[in-house]
Amino acid sequence: MDFGTIIAGLLTLAILTFLYRDNPIYKLAEYLLVGVAVGYALVIAWKSAMVDLLFTPLFGQGDWSLLLPLILGLMMFGRFHARTSFISRVPLAVLIGSGAGAAVPAMLGPRILTQVSGSVTPLVGTDGLPNWSGLIVIVGVLSTLAYFFFSREHRGSLGVASKVGTWFLMIFFGTTFGYTVMSRMSTFIGRAEFLLTDFLHLTR
Amino acid sequence: MKKLESRHWAFLGLAIVVIGTMLLNLEPDLDVSPDTIRMHAFIDSLPAGSIILVSFDHEASALPEIKPLATAFLRHAFGKGLRPVGIALMAEGTAVGYRLMEQVAAEYHKQYGIDYAFLGYQPQYIAAILSLGESVKQTFPRDYVGHPYDSLPLLREVHKLSDFGAVISIADGNMVTHWVEYGRARFNVTVAAFVTAVMVTSYDPYVSSGQLRAMVGGLRGAAEYEKLIGIGGAGRRGMLAQAASHLYVLALILVGNVIYFTTRSRKGRG
Amino acid sequence: MSRRVAQIVCAVFGVLMFLLFFSGHPTAKAITLAITTQYWQVIAAFALIVGAVSFVRVNVKAIQRRQDIPFRAIGLLGMISMPVLAIGWGIGGSSPFLWVFENIQAPMQSTVFALLAFFVASASLRGFRARSIPAAILLVSAVVMLLSRSWFESTTSSFLLTASDWLRNYPSMAARRAILIGIGLGSLTTSLRLIVGIERTWLGGSR
Repeated sequence: MDFGTIIAGLLTLAILTFLYRDNPIYKLAEYLLVGVAVGYALVIAWKSAMVDLLFTPLFGQGDWSLLLPLILGLMMFGRFHARTSFISRVPLAVLIGSGAGAAVPAMLGPRILTQVSGSVTPLVGTDGLPNWSGLIVIVGVLSTLAYFFFSREHRGSLGVASKVGTWFLMIFFGTTFGYTVMSRMSTFIGRAEFLLTDFLHLTR
Repeated sequence: MKKLESRHWAFLGLAIVVIGTMLLNLEPDLDVSPDTIRMHAFIDSLPAGSIILVSFDHEASALPEIKPLATAFLRHAFGKGLRPVGIALMAEGTAVGYRLMEQVAAEYHKQYGIDYAFLGYQPQYIAAILSLGESVKQTFPRDYVGHPYDSLPLLREVHKLSDFGAVISIADGNMVTHWVEYGRARFNVTVAAFVTAVMVTSYDPYVSSGQLRAMVGGLRGAAEYEKLIGIGGAGRRGMLAQAASHLYVLALILVGNVIYFTTRSRKGRG
Repeated sequence: MSRRVAQIVCAVFGVLMFLLFFSGHPTAKAITLAITTQYWQVIAAFALIVGAVSFVRVNVKAIQRRQDIPFRAIGLLGMISMPVLAIGWGIGGSSPFLWVFENIQAPMQSTVFALLAFFVASASLRGFRARSIPAAILLVSAVVMLLSRSWFESTTSSFLLTASDWLRNYPSMAARRAILIGIGLGSLTTSLRLIVGIERTWLGGSR
């Protein structure tokens, strides 16, 4: 067994000790994980964005158009002190403004319009029989939207619609719970497989 | 020593069920769902030699689900002669994607820079998708290990997002949404996704509207894909334990409800 | 003053990105590329550095106050070791940087998530009760979904499979679609409010 597998196995067991209760071994592993994860993200972002997109073209190829992004980036460091934190508003404004501007067409077209049009299906098929599933989708979308409509009190027809919407939401939460269970179990199975096969050699 | 509580017994039961079934070393055959069949057919429909963008949009926490899914998919892609270009829109996907592509490519004797490449990570995902739509080279001037973009023959064939045969997002969060709403909508590229099971129901509307070409989810999806490509893996090895753990959770739900209704009826009588 | 400048910058970049969506002109494409690669990505990377530096500051301050010294120290050691390894030996195939990721970070991170399997099991026992009609609907839907994914070839009831696929593809999908539309409407209005300067909470304090 290689050294890496031994370390990985011991750290896996250290995290699993949390199932009994919080303890120093778990806490040590937890802090190590957070530290390593921050260091990892820093390295990857530094290499891909700072070196490849900023420093190499700016200082290596003399692309002076990058001077302004560099200054804006450095203004982010204003956040280190309460007195200077106001200067980080400008680079933040670039991020927030660009994100908002790009989001408007993305939300309007592929999100809202396409999803609405996807719900509008013929309610009678070519064979003349009613399309019950299509009807369920239309009723489900409208009633769930009614449930989230808070500008009027949920009474009368809106109350009925929002109640039906609750049932659709419950079906969605149920299916999602089912898939969440699958997902979480898969994650544990993956770790159990590592422990049983690679670390303890109990299975093939 | 602290006294064991009911949750500890529930934990212990799960550990026994999963480890016990895994020690049996059985790989029962399973049905393949229409979702997996659709994805397999889609990948099969791409002409050999097509360059596809594989985006590793996940964290290390989802590895037990993501690795079997990505491995099965990459085996299918390399086996079919597709040429994947890897990127990551989440930092941790970078190391995972780089290593996985390297390992599976070696199984098929593929050469880096000609049959596949790995470009690395960019921190802001929406910006990355929008800039890939205009220029792949300017988004990733160098690959993950530092080779200049033009030094890799494979990359000289692609200039922008729409030059890729498809975008395959391997994701554990909502990154697929961004590929659909920014990548597909704006640059007209086909998007398909391998996702963790917990995300499956979130993406159903996109599959239904045709915005997402195909989707395979979870370890079960990986096991089904392994069956379709005829190569076993972690997905199929874990299926018996997966089924047993589901039945264990169902049993716990049943026990919880029996206790609840019994207590309620006793209180009602009292 | 800085609030006003930030608002103007936000509005300019917002309107610009919105308008660029509608143009296929090479100049428009070049501007989009400049904004996304030079400004957006670079500032986002600086923001990550701010996060990493804050991590160091918080931990150093805690050590100075003699709080959790061994834990804080191991966290800092882990954080500092990654850049050191990357500078010394690179980030490629057999580098110690990747070794640490594969043998320390990834196993621990996925095990932290694996803990959730146990908490889901515990929650199923203690909290998943059919107390009302909506709760019963949720429970039945979850049970159908789990049962349908727990059997193997030819042993799965075809009714169960059909029922679970139908539940997922129609009623469940319809509710999720409504949620997506709702989020879309919310994001759309929030984006517009940000661009025109009605939404200003992101500006923080008064200076």
